Amino acid sequence: MAQVVIMPKQGQSVESCIVSEFKKKVGDSVKVGDILFGYETDKATFEEESQVEGTVLAIFYKDGDEIPVLSNVMVIGQPGESFAEFAPSAASNDAGKGAAGGTEPSETHATFGTVRGGTVSAANGGVERSETVSEGSSPSAAAIPGAPASPRARKLAEEKGVNLDTVAGSGPGGRIIERDVLAAAVPLTGLAKAKMAEGGLVAGAGSGLAGTVKGGDLKTWKPNHTDIPGEGTEFETVKMSNMRKLIAKSMYNSLQNSAQLTHMLGADARKIQALRKKAKKALEEGKIDANITINDFVCFAVIKALQKFPNVNSHCLGDAMRLFKAVNLGCAVDTERGLMVPVIKGADALDIISLSKELKKAADACKKGSFNPDLLAAEAGSFTVSNLGGYGVEWFTPIINVPQSAILGVGTLVPRPKLNAEGQYEFVPYLGLSLTYDHRAIDGGEATRFLKQVATEIETLEVEF
Amino acid sequence: MPKSLYIDPEITLRPKEHEIKFPEIPVMQYKKTVKDELKEGNFTKEDLLRIYRDMFTIREFETMLNLVKTTGGYNGVEYNNPGPAHLSAGQEAAAVGMAYNLDTDDFIFGSHRSHGEILAKGLRSIEILPEKELEKIMNEFWGGATVNVAKKGFKGSTKELGVRFLIYGAIAEIFARTTGFNKGLGGSMHTFFTPFGIYPNNAIVGGSGSIAVGAALYKKVNCKKGIVVANLGDGAMARGPVLEGMTFASMDQFHTLWEGDMKGGLPVLINVMDNQYAMGGQTKGETMGYTFPARLGAGFNPEAWHAERVNGYDPLAVIDAFRRKKALLEKKEGPALLDVVTYRYSGHSPSDQSSYRTKEEIAAWEAEDCIIAFGKKLIEAGVATQKDLDAIQAKMKETIFEMYKLAIDPEVSPRMDLVKDNELLGDMMYSNGSVDSFGDAKPEVLMPLEENPRVKQIAGKSRFYLDAEGKPVSSMKMYNFRDGVFEAIVDRFYKDSSLVAYGEENREWGGAFAVYRGLTEALPYHRLFNSPIAEAAIIGTAIGYAMCGGRVIPEIMYCDFLGCCGDEIFNQLPKWQAMSGNILKMPVVVRVSVGSKYGAQHSQDWTSLCTHIPGLKVVFPVTPYDAKGLMNSALQGTDPVIFFESQRLYGIGEQFHEGGVPEGYYEIPLGEPDVKRAGKDVTFLTIGATLYRALKAADMLKEKYGLEAEVIDARTLVPFNYEKVIESVKKTGRIIIAGDASARGSFLNDLAANIADLCFDYLDAAPVVLGSRNWITPCHELEEAFFPQPEWFLDVINEKMVPLPGYVPTGNFTNAQQILRAKKGV
Repeated sequence: MAQVVIMPKQGQSVESCIVSEFKKKVGDSVKVGDILFGYETDKATFEEESQVEGTVLAIFYKDGDEIPVLSNVMVIGQPGESFAEFAPSAASNDAGKGAAGGTEPSETHATFGTVRGGTVSAANGGVERSETVSEGSSPSAAAIPGAPASPRARKLAEEKGVNLDTVAGSGPGGRIIERDVLAAAVPLTGLAKAKMAEGGLVAGAGSGLAGTVKGGDLKTWKPNHTDIPGEGTEFETVKMSNMRKLIAKSMYNSLQNSAQLTHMLGADARKIQALRKKAKKALEEGKIDANITINDFVCFAVIKALQKFPNVNSHCLGDAMRLFKAVNLGCAVDTERGLMVPVIKGADALDIISLSKELKKAADACKKGSFNPDLLAAEAGSFTVSNLGGYGVEWFTPIINVPQSAILGVGTLVPRPKLNAEGQYEFVPYLGLSLTYDHRAIDGGEATRFLKQVATEIETLEVEF
Repeated sequence: MPKSLYIDPEITLRPKEHEIKFPEIPVMQYKKTVKDELKEGNFTKEDLLRIYRDMFTIREFETMLNLVKTTGGYNGVEYNNPGPAHLSAGQEAAAVGMAYNLDTDDFIFGSHRSHGEILAKGLRSIEILPEKELEKIMNEFWGGATVNVAKKGFKGSTKELGVRFLIYGAIAEIFARTTGFNKGLGGSMHTFFTPFGIYPNNAIVGGSGSIAVGAALYKKVNCKKGIVVANLGDGAMARGPVLEGMTFASMDQFHTLWEGDMKGGLPVLINVMDNQYAMGGQTKGETMGYTFPARLGAGFNPEAWHAERVNGYDPLAVIDAFRRKKALLEKKEGPALLDVVTYRYSGHSPSDQSSYRTKEEIAAWEAEDCIIAFGKKLIEAGVATQKDLDAIQAKMKETIFEMYKLAIDPEVSPRMDLVKDNELLGDMMYSNGSVDSFGDAKPEVLMPLEENPRVKQIAGKSRFYLDAEGKPVSSMKMYNFRDGVFEAIVDRFYKDSSLVAYGEENREWGGAFAVYRGLTEALPYHRLFNSPIAEAAIIGTAIGYAMCGGRVIPEIMYCDFLGCCGDEIFNQLPKWQAMSGNILKMPVVVRVSVGSKYGAQHSQDWTSLCTHIPGLKVVFPVTPYDAKGLMNSALQGTDPVIFFESQRLYGIGEQFHEGGVPEGYYEIPLGEPDVKRAGKDVTFLTIGATLYRALKAADMLKEKYGLEAEVIDARTLVPFNYEKVIESVKKTGRIIIAGDASARGSFLNDLAANIADLCFDYLDAAPVVLGSRNWITPCHELEEAFFPQPEWFLDVINEKMVPLPGYVPTGNFTNAQQILRAKKGV
């Protein structure tokens, strides 16, 4: 029997994914584990492996299509088997919000007085108030840019990603009223919605199913900057990638909406250097199966310190604090796509070996773009560590991943003179620790005590393996 | 219109006497000397010295205030008092003479110029109160906050402390301090202290004229000891509330219809402080025609109110008159009127340059000064030496100066911080109490409730407008709006012995709209009676009645008559709870009927006027269920409620509450609007009887255009919970606020503005106000053009919210027309 392959749902917030490339075409034979297609969300890329063996009977989309999650993508079976029943257009597949099945969005054609509330809901696709359709005649045809719009219509347009300049008003004096926006709100894919919400884009004619507007249908990118001479000759204007824009937005938001400052403190690194040596040896001897890095030890020490400072292991909400019971540790990772901060949930429950493995796995997944997007959200973490030591940075001022209350920047090892027991100065390797914290959440004293605790943990860390 | 009083044409048309005879009104008949009084044993030497002390205390108190106002300080200690100071220097003998015979059960009410009266009554109360009682009063007042300041550094007797307490409490009140008698919220013109029997002074000239009569009614109906004195100026005798109050107090029915203990006149004395001037107008010879205020008594009853004109420059003459009048009132032969001749040295206020009188005139009166003259008499009679009098003066000066310094010290006498705690005064506007009964006696009724003919009649009625089979019940068998109001009121009459109700026809007729039918059988006259056609007195007396601790339902027969009691509804009823520092409660439920059909002066909805005045609660139920529940709440409460009833709806049955109107007691909290019909496309928020036209509009809208209106009945206008309305507008995006008030300046606009503010992002169109036209109300046959009609709702939906396909408007609601009408002032 033919098997259908659906677009997986990667994370709660993901509504649709773009197929980057189909690795198989109709007629190809497929083994279990073969890559069928690659796909991406706005945060990560994934590959779909085949769970079955057989021949590709049908593919319902082409490369670059945006596909609502849980939609049927392709069919694998034995040659000759029927597959037409799996085609998305035949199925009443309403799993994807904003991409309703078969019927035409027809409210603009509804004849006044004949349509009863409820019967048109399917036709509206995403329109919650089907009853509004029964209110009146077809909205007048012409859209007049700058036409008056009711506050309710404006609010709705914002929610639905509708450009009011494209909407024809049917209210008194041509005012755009709620029903006009509802009529104009063609179904959008998740990506299209997200892009629209950032502004500057309007929906073009929908090329997706049932007129669904896809990411690629969005038109008129209006740059957010002022043009200056020299375009093309002296410089090139490049649109920021989606990911870049997301990072830009969240970093800007962080600095705009919190009261952050940074304390810096050095930690004597001899202890963890010794531990690192010991771990390396243990790995070589096959006693352990993880390559525990200095950063892993630092993270381990940070977790211990966080357990003693619950206020730091928190989110600051402006008028309230979320105090986390577990340590959900974010660890900044530099990838080709940009900065990513994967979160290790419940990191305080892990021993050093498990922690090391999880951190490695997360970093690799991010670099590949296959990390669970839900765990990339700032809300997922309770504290973040960012390590630039590998690049020789001594100190820096990391930016808080809001709403988290603090972030620890870890620098490189620098030899510094220190008085030894004999009263002589000797050079000791010091690790630069830079704690940026939100002063709304934590006062300077507590932040300092926490940072000192991190240093103490680093200097006195005991690990068995 | 009692049947027992037969109007005999024989006697009426052919009387035996052919002229009206007036009794003679005595003028200045007191001739005794101090020696005579001593000989007769009417006073001890100490009594006479205290009279001197009290008069001097008032003089020094007023002198202090005058110096503060005119020189910015007193005895070299600077203070700026921006508030008013209507001083009574010159009138001391009148004040002290007035207070001398009164004890704490006797209440005085005053005017804007009453510092002297409250000091006189206070000093007298301190003198006659047992020390323990005086201590208790002082210690319990504001939890001792006031007496604790007066006590600072003082080690004298309780009575002396009482004097300090009185003077300090009064100054602190005048200077708006929280330790003042009314937390500084009353001020100079409203200072009072009920534990000494001092009831509110009143900044509205003549305001006490009807309020004091209500206090006397309370004393009579509730069998309380004491008489009531209204201290008014000679100018106040021109005022409607005084004349209406006197009319009310003169009613024959106290003698002809009230029975048993209740038979007899009201214990009220109108005491005119005849100081010769009313603002700059001179009452005798210029602005009045009575020559003497005492003459007015002759107009009100055959006894001419036992009026007398006495010498207010001799305290003993005033005391003599009060002694006789008080005895008369205690024999239930009141009311009484005294015209106490006096003279004010100061102007109306410190800004008055006395340009209307000569220096010679003032000098001539000063030569007769009541304090100097009385001092001389005491010396002549051997009661005191000049040295004794000087010592009294020195002591009182010292006390007043000490109290002055304490009252202006912000450390010990702080003001309310309304900036820091800006809800403080708001929380004092209502008492929001829940009290079953204000009376301590068993309610006096004439029959068990279940035997009442009206109660029996209602028992046979259907409490929902449809019968069990869903068929409409005939109007005779249907429990209606007036039954709902009746049930709530009769229930309270059987619970609260203090409750009384009156108005212009409240008894045999059952009220003009038959709401009270059945109450006549249930209640004695003193609990339910017909009042004179005197709205100012109806509301004014109710205020006095409630102030003293009783619950009362005055009735204003038509909303249009609210103007006749404008001062009482707008200035008195809403103000006293907060102005007293929450000492007074005001359990007054004013029933007001809103008319239609009877043209321009009998068909107006003036709810908006009441909502505008802070301190009133305003209710307008339009279903029997709501009427009963809201009336129960109003009557259980302790705040003034203006309870509007629509004459269009007295006969209407309950159409909304499932199961009909409950037989038992229930309350609907004031302030909660009620969704009468759910809908999703547009909200109609209505005030009053407009609800039923809005429902008709909702039917038309559904039937012809498939739009569903949510219809909300405001029920209460003040207070008002917007939450339900906001929820509705979030759903529908559109709202029409409709009522029968003329649209301009109405509460409809207030609702609309708040909704626009609170729901801005949810609105698909601006809130639309649908009120009556800004015209006179035309005759009944033309009313459809005036009051909002069902079609108007569709008109404005089509014009202002969402065009209705194929709709032909009935009225012109275009913007152009709106602007044009406003230009024309209509």
